[in-house]
Amino acid sequence: MHSMFPASFSLLGDYVPEFASFPESASTFAERNDSVYWYITWICVAFFIPIGYCLFYFAWKYHKPKGAPAESQVSHNTPLELAWSILPSILLIWMFYAGARGFLDQRVPPDGGYELKVEAQKWSWLVDYGRGTYHPELHILLDEPTRLTMTSKDVIHSLYVPAFRAKKDIVPGRYNYMWFEPTIASEKVSDEELKQAKAWNKGNPAWDYDHHQFTPEGYRFFDLYCAEYCGKDHSMMQTQVVVHKTQEDLDAWIKEKSTRGEVPMEEWGQRLYQQRGCKGCHSIDGSSGTGPTWKDSYGAARDLTDGRSAAVDENYVRESILNPKAKIAKGFQPVMPSYKGQLSDDDIDSLIAFMKTLSKNYKPEPDKRSAAEEQKGAVEQKAAEDNSTATESGGEN
Amino acid sequence: MATTEASSETAHEDHGHDHDHPAFLAHHFDTPEQQFDSGKLGIWLFLVTEVLFFSGMFCAYAMFRALRPDVFEGCSQFLNTKLGAINTGVLLFSSLTMAWAVRCAQTEDHKTLTGMLAATLSCAMVFLGVKAIEYSHKWGMGLLPAGLFFYDPNNQHPTAEQLELIGFGSFGVSFLQNALFYICAPFAIGLIGVVIWLVVSLVNGRKFQVAVAKPLTVVFVFFFVGVGLGRILESGESHDSHDSHAVAHVDGHDAHQAGDHASDQHAGDAHAADSHSTDPPAGDHDSHGSPVEDGGELAVLERLAAEKTNTGLQDDLAARQRQSAVASGAIVHSDEITSTIETVPEEVLTPSRAGVFFSIYYCMTGVHAIHIIGGIIVLIWLLVRSVRQDFNRQYFGPVDYVGLYWHLVDLIWIYLFPLLYLIR
Amino acid sequence: MSSGSLPPGMKIRDPGFPTQRENYLTNSKGVLSWMFTLDHKRIGVMYLIGISVAFAVAGFLALGIRWHLFLPDGMLFRNPQTGNDTYNQVFTLHGAIMVFLFIIPSVPAALGNFLVPIMLGAKDVAFPRLNLCSFYLWVFGAVFFICALCASGLDTGWTFYTPYSTTTNSSVILATSGAFVLGFSSIFTGLNFIVTINTMRPPGMTWFRMPLFLWATYSTSIIQVLATPVLGITLLLLIAERVMHIGIFDPEFNGDPVTFQHFFWFYSHPAVYIMILPAFGIISDLVSVHSHKHIFGYRFIAYSSLAIALLSFIVWGHHMFTSGMSPLTTIIFSALTFSVSIPSAIKVFNWLATMYKGSISLTTPMCYTITFIFLFTIGGLTGLHLGTLATDMHLHDTYFVVAHFHYVMVGGTVVAFLGGLFHWWPKMFGKMYSEFGGRLSCLLVFLGFNLTFLPQFVLGSRGMPRRYATYDPEFAYLHQMSTWGATLLGIGLIVAFVVLMRSLIRGKPAPANPWGGATLEWHCTSPPPYYNFERPPLVGDPYDFHDLRWDEENERYVTIEPEREIVPREIPDEVTVQANKDH
Repeated sequence: MHSMFPASFSLLGDYVPEFASFPESASTFAERNDSVYWYITWICVAFFIPIGYCLFYFAWKYHKPKGAPAESQVSHNTPLELAWSILPSILLIWMFYAGARGFLDQRVPPDGGYELKVEAQKWSWLVDYGRGTYHPELHILLDEPTRLTMTSKDVIHSLYVPAFRAKKDIVPGRYNYMWFEPTIASEKVSDEELKQAKAWNKGNPAWDYDHHQFTPEGYRFFDLYCAEYCGKDHSMMQTQVVVHKTQEDLDAWIKEKSTRGEVPMEEWGQRLYQQRGCKGCHSIDGSSGTGPTWKDSYGAARDLTDGRSAAVDENYVRESILNPKAKIAKGFQPVMPSYKGQLSDDDIDSLIAFMKTLSKNYKPEPDKRSAAEEQKGAVEQKAAEDNSTATESGGEN
Repeated sequence: MATTEASSETAHEDHGHDHDHPAFLAHHFDTPEQQFDSGKLGIWLFLVTEVLFFSGMFCAYAMFRALRPDVFEGCSQFLNTKLGAINTGVLLFSSLTMAWAVRCAQTEDHKTLTGMLAATLSCAMVFLGVKAIEYSHKWGMGLLPAGLFFYDPNNQHPTAEQLELIGFGSFGVSFLQNALFYICAPFAIGLIGVVIWLVVSLVNGRKFQVAVAKPLTVVFVFFFVGVGLGRILESGESHDSHDSHAVAHVDGHDAHQAGDHASDQHAGDAHAADSHSTDPPAGDHDSHGSPVEDGGELAVLERLAAEKTNTGLQDDLAARQRQSAVASGAIVHSDEITSTIETVPEEVLTPSRAGVFFSIYYCMTGVHAIHIIGGIIVLIWLLVRSVRQDFNRQYFGPVDYVGLYWHLVDLIWIYLFPLLYLIR
Repeated sequence: MSSGSLPPGMKIRDPGFPTQRENYLTNSKGVLSWMFTLDHKRIGVMYLIGISVAFAVAGFLALGIRWHLFLPDGMLFRNPQTGNDTYNQVFTLHGAIMVFLFIIPSVPAALGNFLVPIMLGAKDVAFPRLNLCSFYLWVFGAVFFICALCASGLDTGWTFYTPYSTTTNSSVILATSGAFVLGFSSIFTGLNFIVTINTMRPPGMTWFRMPLFLWATYSTSIIQVLATPVLGITLLLLIAERVMHIGIFDPEFNGDPVTFQHFFWFYSHPAVYIMILPAFGIISDLVSVHSHKHIFGYRFIAYSSLAIALLSFIVWGHHMFTSGMSPLTTIIFSALTFSVSIPSAIKVFNWLATMYKGSISLTTPMCYTITFIFLFTIGGLTGLHLGTLATDMHLHDTYFVVAHFHYVMVGGTVVAFLGGLFHWWPKMFGKMYSEFGGRLSCLLVFLGFNLTFLPQFVLGSRGMPRRYATYDPEFAYLHQMSTWGATLLGIGLIVAFVVLMRSLIRGKPAPANPWGGATLEWHCTSPPPYYNFERPPLVGDPYDFHDLRWDEENERYVTIEPEREIVPREIPDEVTVQANKDH
């Protein structure tokens, strides 16, 4: 619909169409909302032009030297005033109706469809794809209604995808829901382009989305913003929405993200630390939190509430993650939830590897595996291309 | 201020105004009636803003009550209905004296006016004294707003070290443990000051000052009357609760809270809460002392089962548990002994539940108390003016306006009392 | 028509010029005579100075925001650790100072204090001491804000949303205390005006003979008295939440942050009308006086002011359409929101009809009036996009909202305030300013303003969220346009300031009635005597211009009246400085 009025929202529109037009309309809401938007805009223009014209025309036409009496001193005309009070109301009723219809569509998700959990925190997004797979990017399926269940860990955020014309606040302490159905799939850039970008990116730990305008896997994306002010890096709280064409494509992507793959253990452990809630209670700089700090904890001895003490080793950490109430460190409350079934063995090993890097109490043993891991962390990704790490390390521990 | 007022007055003279402006009529008004009407409209508007000011808190109350009725029913057990009722009575009486004062101002009965104002002030002081008792006991036990809430039914009077462990500074600890002293201190200083003033002006023979200081001394003494009254009512109550079921539900109270829990004490032995600071810290309950346990009922049962001296308690407990289950955790029958703080499900006693109740309680009663204090200050100003015989048939506006304000403050308490203390 | 061609049997009435003793500016001297004055005019002038300083500070902060946004990664606050924080503090303080210290007191407290009693024909407001008290509360509130600024700044946005405001490290308590105190300042002003208008009207001043500015002020005062206490308690609860975590707004203790939003907007939406209603009043007066034509539809305008005041209390939810209220609530709020747009539209039509067949003098105030109608119409119309639920889902919290409320607040209130200031400046200070300078400032403001905020509508439609310290490069072009516009707008405001300041030094003495207004303030000398009116003035239709004549010689308007001798005295054949004494 809105293509009928290309970029004519403002005077500027004619000169800078690429800046002045709406973002791509990529959801089922977009077309309807945009048409409502343009109808209202044209109604506004239809009102504004006569008003503006009268304003300046009267100012010019009835501009008289001082002292000249006005041509008329009419003070009121009730029928006329009633008319211009009541007639515009009809248009308002239409606007209200159209808006409310569109809104109800947005509020009431259809049955079925694709369900995802979204966690927002200062200043990052995390999408829960189920089965322990988390990733900051939002990957969804074309023409499939997607329902997001959103929670916030700290302050109010708001999930906003301009291309979908959808927005919803995420209020801590409650679940908020939103849904949309994407209608345009993200294209994939050519392999050369991706290779080029990877080469450009080399040595740079973070992928520069703004620069490349596609994800590290080569997908074009839609921007996802945080629209509710949430502090220092509010403007950095962005992520990407990728719309996959087929279920297989999406599943493949999720599968790829669900295992560690070729990422070094320490780095994966660090990522889990940040993404899976460890960060909330355990510091890595020695400061005390709800739980004991991880700094220098690995390899040290720890007093327990029942008077015994235990050495913090692989077994202790593993038990603490899977059965947190078994051994409670002195001075802390037994409040940690169990991660049984939520972290794979490989995940736990990665966390342990990450803890090792934080501890000066840990002396790397001349063990073959850990030496290899050490090296892997130190050198770059390429050093250890062995994709067997996952099973291997699981077996050893 | 003086310069401009003076100059405007002289200016009026210059212009030969023929208004006969009495001293009490401000220069910009034409007649005393106009001045009175303006003041009256002004004070009514001010009262409207006051009502709206409180309405925010009433909204918060309504919302949280609707969300968690069990918390409100459980926690209101901690409020002492007797003290609340006394305060209600005191305020109602002060409304009477205030209305009487307005009448006296209109009839130019200066002596009675001063007396009535002093009576109103004394009632306000009694109210504050009783409030001081109520507040100080709750503070000592940790029944505080959510963020500071540390009430533990097994250890209601934590020692200084325990408080420091919770995270209070040394001043905070001393404040919490001697809250009554800190609250009374400013009033004591005020009393001493007024007495000194009275003595000095008596010695110097300043009649006016004596006439002001005398009623004020009485007024300040009444604060301590209020404190005494509160203490007597409170300690008397713990005995009552043992005798009759009818009063047991109203006590909700610290005075004997330890009685049923601590195995070495019987309810009948309970004293005023202050004397309890030597309660055993109940360390043996620590293992299940965590307030965040899921099965609150179970915890209650478990905890009370440890009280082996109480025979037949098990049956009682089972009955209570059934009752609680039926009422989904709410205590509905206020005329049974079950409806005391012991039956407040332990899961309610967490900062995020009981704490929020007490947040609302302190916000509402605290802001109300601030209004009482504001009223006291204005009433003292009226008292001075009444001794000076400022008011007459044509000019009694200030007494009238303050009267309206005072009635509103009373009215708000009339709402607070049932909402917080009575509805269960 | 000059004074020479007087119709037979008529005489000229003109109060002439005040003596030094009568002039409220000079009748008593010294700083103390100002600081402790109870004269509503002096309090108005002190307010004017105060809010101008606040406006300047917040204006420079606005320029800081705009120039920072000149580049996608930020241009001014580039420190990687603290840059974004600095930006957040700058936009927060810009908003908070503009709203609490400038716009809310601008028209009601500064112009209102000066004008309400004079327009009404009273000697002063009902409670002069309360009036002075409310000024000092304003100062006190401003001091709190300065303390907050000096302590650790404020980075919550002017809305203080929880739980951000309960967890951030900046000085929220100081700032909210400041806003709390300012709230009381505002309540007292409103209370004073309601009582003044109700009880201080002289004989003959019926409700429907009141100038529309008074109707607007009355409506505004109702909002101030009814809405501000709720803000007070909300801020108090917020402070309590920060100090001791009372758990009402804090999700950590089962509180609900959305409750805070309801409380906050219950005040702050009506507050929007505290800002704009007095502006409507000013424009209604200005458009009639400078068109020399009776205002069209007096009663409709008066009633629509009241209607807006009352409707404003039931539309607050439209700030929270995306916050997850129940669909029914949301839809009801949307419907109510549309209803409030009707009274605003009525006013625009009435103003245009007033200009129709008038005798328009394109003076500076009239130029500002035309600017106002133009900009406010845009601001009002774009509100429709935001009131419509479906489009609001997209536009909420984007630059579209920013542009919309700036069109209403700046294009509306600030422009009307400037118009009113230029209109009543001769009355307030007894000096005429340079018409050329005034019109130039108006032109610059008009151009600069549109250049600043039209691109922001586009930005918002494109999906640029507000309160972003950095942004995606595709938005850069529009942001740069906006920045240049802001600079131009700033220049326009500085020109206006210079013109007014220069008039104080070099300006010609102003006649009692330079524009041809028929309301009572023009019956006083310029500046008015400190007692306003010696006797209750004769009150007629405030928009009846029949007996006003232009006196070419003295560049003034005079009132002609039939030669009716009530008191047999000699007729002054020429108006002298002593004119007043003959009353």
